[in-house]
Amino acid sequence: MNFKKKLSAAEFVVLAEMNTPKGVDISELVTNARRVKDRVDAVVVPDMDNGVMRMSALAGGALLRREGLETVVHVYGRDKNRMALQGDLLAAYVLGIPHLLVVPAEPMSNGDHREAVTVDDLDESGILQMIRSLREGVDLSGFDLKGAPDFTSGCAMAQVADDSGLDQEIETVKRKVEAGAQYIVTPPVFDLAAYGRIADALKPLGVPVIATVFLLKNVGMARYMSIHDPGSRISEDMIRRIRKAPDREAECIRMAGETAAELKKMVQGIKIATLGWEHRLPDILASAGL
Amino acid sequence: MITAVRKPMEEIIACVEPYDRILLVGCNECVSVCSAGGRKEVALLASALHMHFMKQGKTMDIREITLERQCDPEYVEELVTSVDGSDAILSMACGCGVQTIAARYREKPVFPAVNTTFMGASERQGVWSERCQGCGDCVLGITGGICPIARCSKRLMNGPCGGSTKGKCEIDANVDCAWQLIWDRLKALGLERRIEDIMEAKDWRTSRDGGPRKIIREDLAS
Repeated sequence: MNFKKKLSAAEFVVLAEMNTPKGVDISELVTNARRVKDRVDAVVVPDMDNGVMRMSALAGGALLRREGLETVVHVYGRDKNRMALQGDLLAAYVLGIPHLLVVPAEPMSNGDHREAVTVDDLDESGILQMIRSLREGVDLSGFDLKGAPDFTSGCAMAQVADDSGLDQEIETVKRKVEAGAQYIVTPPVFDLAAYGRIADALKPLGVPVIATVFLLKNVGMARYMSIHDPGSRISEDMIRRIRKAPDREAECIRMAGETAAELKKMVQGIKIATLGWEHRLPDILASAGL
Repeated sequence: MITAVRKPMEEIIACVEPYDRILLVGCNECVSVCSAGGRKEVALLASALHMHFMKQGKTMDIREITLERQCDPEYVEELVTSVDGSDAILSMACGCGVQTIAARYREKPVFPAVNTTFMGASERQGVWSERCQGCGDCVLGITGGICPIARCSKRLMNGPCGGSTKGKCEIDANVDCAWQLIWDRLKALGLERRIEDIMEAKDWRTSRDGGPRKIIREDLAS
């Protein structure tokens, strides 16, 4: 059963995130994808993740499609205007990529090409409306398409630092759903109790929610995120657990697996982000019993 | 100067219609020079609004004030007493002025009565043209005093493109090709060999692409 059918049948979906290479050596990407081929419903391919120039998600998605995996590609407005976005989306569809995830882009000043022009012709809601228009067979200038793409498009929810920011973010996500988002991907979960409140708040929007499972790789990473991203809610207990483990790497995998297993009881899907440790995806899935 | 044009009357009316007392504020700087939002334009707009609402059977209280500069908090402070007696503020300044008022008088709705258009120069009476996009890294010294960013339709740094015909741009026969102007000017200065120097990819960080910009002069800042 494919990603779209599972979403509409309210079945649990498992996504894995895999970045394209900065260069043309695709061996690692393909190898990692083959490892999880029959264990995930789709691979999410970010585009220029964290503002770093790398092979486009369109090419990455098409490559993985060739390997027999379903793919979800990121779409954002920082680098392309509405013409380029629409052209690339039509290309994605004919290359076997009907699943899209509209995301915010990292500011150009935080990336590795800081001198570049920022386009920002369309924001996330604008892109979602554009995708809906393409689905209806009309481009953003009102011209008919020769063949309409049957996209499934999702939106991203931003990290909220505390409960006071939650209402505002829910309103933002609601607008994205009204603009055409058919599913919501929420930020990394490290505090399941707090996440329960987010999942409850999203329920009235009536679309599937996919939670992000983020693999903490070491104590330093956990500590850094807890300080610089308070919305992540990484507790001292979590950091201590990694620090005291005899095999810290295995403990990190176990923690991600536990989070994934718990989230399965709360939402309709998970997206596992491993940030360069995609070779450990099978271990996380095994740990989660998936 | 910053140029502007007045918004369509219907749009202005729709903004102020819900209110009874309007403070209409002009600016004596750029928008006054380009005849969009100075004292004279304030008076004209006030009359037009009075006439419109009289026809609707509504008496609109419109108070007219033109400040020396709306983008300067010192002058915007002069509105303190007038703001209290109004329900909303209608500003005829550029976007900088509108935002300075909005930041100072948070309790009152502020509406722009003009569309801020571009940084330009006067060509002749009643004609203004775009001359600068504020990229933050001026190249006029090497392009003969003609800006390729503001005046080339494609913002080419190494023009011209194939769309230049008889010195005009392909987007409109009334638009000069900036790179023709640059060539002509460099030639007149005996510097035409400069056109052979390839300009490297521009660093746009100094432009809006690096995020909202700010200038802090430590020697002046209080």
